[in-house]
Amino acid sequence: MTNDIMLLMPLIIVGLGGIIVMIASAYEKFTIEVAAQSTAAILAIAFLTQLSNSISGNVAVFSETFNSILVVSTFSKAAGLIILASGIFTVLSSVAYFKENRFCTSEYYCLVLFAVTGMLMLTMSHELITAFIALEIMSLAVYVLVGYNRDNVISTEAVLKYLVLGAFAGAFLVMGVAFIFGATTSTNFAVIGQYIAANGFMQTPLLIGGSFFVLVALLFKAAAFPFHAWVTDVYDGAPIPVTGFMATALKTAIFAVFANFLVVDDGMHAGWITYLFYISIFTMFVGNLIAIGQQSLKRMLAASGIVHTGYLLIALVAISSQDFSGSVIAFYLAAYAAATLGIFAALSYLSGADEKRKTFDDFKGLAKVRPYSAAAISIFLLSMAGIPPTAGFMGKFYIITSAISAGHVALAVLGIVSSIISMWYYLRLIISMYFHEAEESFSDILPSRLAPTCTFVLVFCVFAISLYPLIV
Amino acid sequence: MFEHILSVMIFLPILTGVILLMTPASQGIARITGLLVSLAILILGIDLYVHFAATGYLEFVEKLAWVPSLGISYHLGVDGINLFVLMAASLLLPMVYLVFTTREKGFYANLLIAQGAMIGAICAADMVLFYIFWEIMLLPIFFMMGLYGGPKRIPATIKITIYTIAGSLLMLAAIVYLGVSYHAQFNEWSFAISDMAKLNLSGQTAILFFFCFIIAFAIKIPLFPFHTWLPDAYTEAPTAATFVLSAIMAKIGVYGVIRFVVPVFDEQLARFAILLACSGVVGMMYCGIAAIAQKDLKRMLAFSSASHMGIIALGVFCMNMQALTGSIYQIVAHATSVGVLFLFVGLIESRTNSRSIEDLGGIAAKAPVFALFFAIALLASVGLPGTSGFIGEFLIILGAIKFNVWVGVFAGTTLIIGVCYMLYMFQRVFFEKTNPNTSTFKDLTLVEGLTFLPVILLIIIMGIYPHPFLSKITPTTALQFAGDTPVVAQTVATNALFPELTIEKK
Repeated sequence: MTNDIMLLMPLIIVGLGGIIVMIASAYEKFTIEVAAQSTAAILAIAFLTQLSNSISGNVAVFSETFNSILVVSTFSKAAGLIILASGIFTVLSSVAYFKENRFCTSEYYCLVLFAVTGMLMLTMSHELITAFIALEIMSLAVYVLVGYNRDNVISTEAVLKYLVLGAFAGAFLVMGVAFIFGATTSTNFAVIGQYIAANGFMQTPLLIGGSFFVLVALLFKAAAFPFHAWVTDVYDGAPIPVTGFMATALKTAIFAVFANFLVVDDGMHAGWITYLFYISIFTMFVGNLIAIGQQSLKRMLAASGIVHTGYLLIALVAISSQDFSGSVIAFYLAAYAAATLGIFAALSYLSGADEKRKTFDDFKGLAKVRPYSAAAISIFLLSMAGIPPTAGFMGKFYIITSAISAGHVALAVLGIVSSIISMWYYLRLIISMYFHEAEESFSDILPSRLAPTCTFVLVFCVFAISLYPLIV
Repeated sequence: MFEHILSVMIFLPILTGVILLMTPASQGIARITGLLVSLAILILGIDLYVHFAATGYLEFVEKLAWVPSLGISYHLGVDGINLFVLMAASLLLPMVYLVFTTREKGFYANLLIAQGAMIGAICAADMVLFYIFWEIMLLPIFFMMGLYGGPKRIPATIKITIYTIAGSLLMLAAIVYLGVSYHAQFNEWSFAISDMAKLNLSGQTAILFFFCFIIAFAIKIPLFPFHTWLPDAYTEAPTAATFVLSAIMAKIGVYGVIRFVVPVFDEQLARFAILLACSGVVGMMYCGIAAIAQKDLKRMLAFSSASHMGIIALGVFCMNMQALTGSIYQIVAHATSVGVLFLFVGLIESRTNSRSIEDLGGIAAKAPVFALFFAIALLASVGLPGTSGFIGEFLIILGAIKFNVWVGVFAGTTLIIGVCYMLYMFQRVFFEKTNPNTSTFKDLTLVEGLTFLPVILLIIIMGIYPHPFLSKITPTTALQFAGDTPVVAQTVATNALFPELTIEKK
């Protein structure tokens, strides 16, 4: 029982913290700086609790306490760590960002906490209604965060798009849940798994339809083909730290529940594997096509996020229900999160007031004025591109290994081809920063020391993660 | 000298380079540090060479588990195949710091990182480790070309980077495939190169990944038809980077073929050897003929380098002991001759501000020592008897004739093209009349002369008395063909014209 509470502690800390920050925001003395600091502190405490849970290593499934609605596994712990770390870095880089973009209020930070609460719950949920509730807690907070800059037209457009489409996805999920309940008389993953094992997957049309709708919702949230069209606009309209948060923490949470749902039984995985195979291929190549054409950095990163979703789908295709540990997915997510958060942390202090530096050309000659920041950005880009000795390389290596091990040679080779294409737009920024003369002086004063510190901590993470071996 | 000599040779330059980049060191300090580190590597390299016992197996081994669940380890070692590539990478670099004295801090720092990464790729005995260093060594070249290259540097930089990364990512897929196949056949994970020779690979998938490896190395070498990045990159890169690319990195491509393709994909190689050998010969001819027409001295040398890499690659694809030994020997010969010629061109460029052959002339009269050194390196590159180039080319042609008479004959006659363009160039640059550009040409200074002297002497020694060098190579090359002979011989027989001559038995 105590053990169960310890495992649930990060969720409780973040949830309670969010409520406290929200109430405290009503007081004028509670300035945005204090809000940011206390939010970072809450997330840090939750992170340390999660870390101690992960190190102590006893996997207690509290099926008795919560009737197996929430299940903690090594995978959910790892995903939780990534989400909490993303939250901390998002908050810290927001501080620098809001020094130059003045539309922040203290409520911003409690929304981050609520979003993290939803995500943590999502990683643990092994029941469809809980997953839906967690998804909506997360999504509602993120909708507000995306549209936080109310005076900005692009931001407003982004939130409208995301809200309408996201609501559709939520509705699909509920419909899927209803279908599955109709077929199996349960929403619990374990019971669904038993039902499929007993009756087969393809023999129950209602189940096929239900899981189809659930997958649509998850693919939408994960930004996979053919539900990827919202990504560039929404990522572009959101404030820079929020974009980073969405690209990392949100994706981690979605992939955690996605993987857990797929492995309820072999029949489920086998039933969808062909479709996931093609979806991952299309996701990678469509993402690349979109990314190649972009002039704006944020849009390029958004599109590259689609490509990374494609790589993660490769890992989903290659998992097996028998000995599922999720370690490959968690490792890739950690590697991707470190690089993406790093680049958004760097952008949040480099873009200047009102995000005036947007395109590749705006960053020309950065290396001469800010050599360390340019070097950090280059390392993040190389990690995303999968160049050793960065974390991104090891992540990609594990994914390709898992794909070839599972017999999907074509998928591995296409993944490789896609990363060759992606070199182009990652290199483009490095070339702009290093090989062109500066067109401006980049002379704005550093708004805060926190964001640069975050950036360099993340550079360290990028190398540290790559040296850390995968535990299967 | 001590236990972790290879690790020191890898990480001393890399760490020094990174520290130089991170600190606001001046240009002078950077150059002196670079010079000292590269001299330290040189001393370690010589020490290693002296203590190398030529057992045929890996020596100076270091092994440390890294990702135990997948059998990946930090595993280094030297044998007869990589010893000479390692020597090229560790002995030649001090020259660059002595010859190019006025470059930027980042230039010297990148050069150091490149050296460490190249030594890492050469010594790695684990495929994943090899791949990591193989990719790292491209990054300093990318930055050196992009930051300090010629006027058209950016397109050239993008071209070489995308080209090589495309190749190496394909290789990554192939490496993973080998690891997974090993797991499937022996039920344990391993990425050690020595384990891969045990694999029994066949079928369409094996052929696919065989070509993944071949394309990766063919791009690096470069082998026809994957050579199109080379003229632009070699011409636009700063001379030191061109030197590193042609003298060492191209050799690592050849080394990769010998290390990965020959022992692991023996069946596939035997099937496609004739195709690859022809591509080597075609590359030799094509690049040689292209070199005749060049007006830019550096571009001409770029084509000539590609042409000579063709014959080294041919030696590998002939799959017999003579040709393989010749290739390894030629690796050093080519690094000391063509590599040094690039440095000489760099000197000519810095003294006359021109690389155009038409603008030059009569240098021999003004700078006799320089002309002499240039001539020796040039003659070694065309394979004149008495120079190092002759031994290697002779062995390769010998092996090629054993492999297939026509390939051997074509390769042998193509060497004449090399003599044509080299002597034609030498006549126009060093003889004929002086002009305003060259009338004030200064001879080599004492430092420069002493820098190049050891290399020039090495060219002559290796040409006259090759035995001590060959004896370090042959035990390992003999081992390469000891185990797999039956399979190789049988399959080659269907391809080659003279089956009874194809494979040398130990």
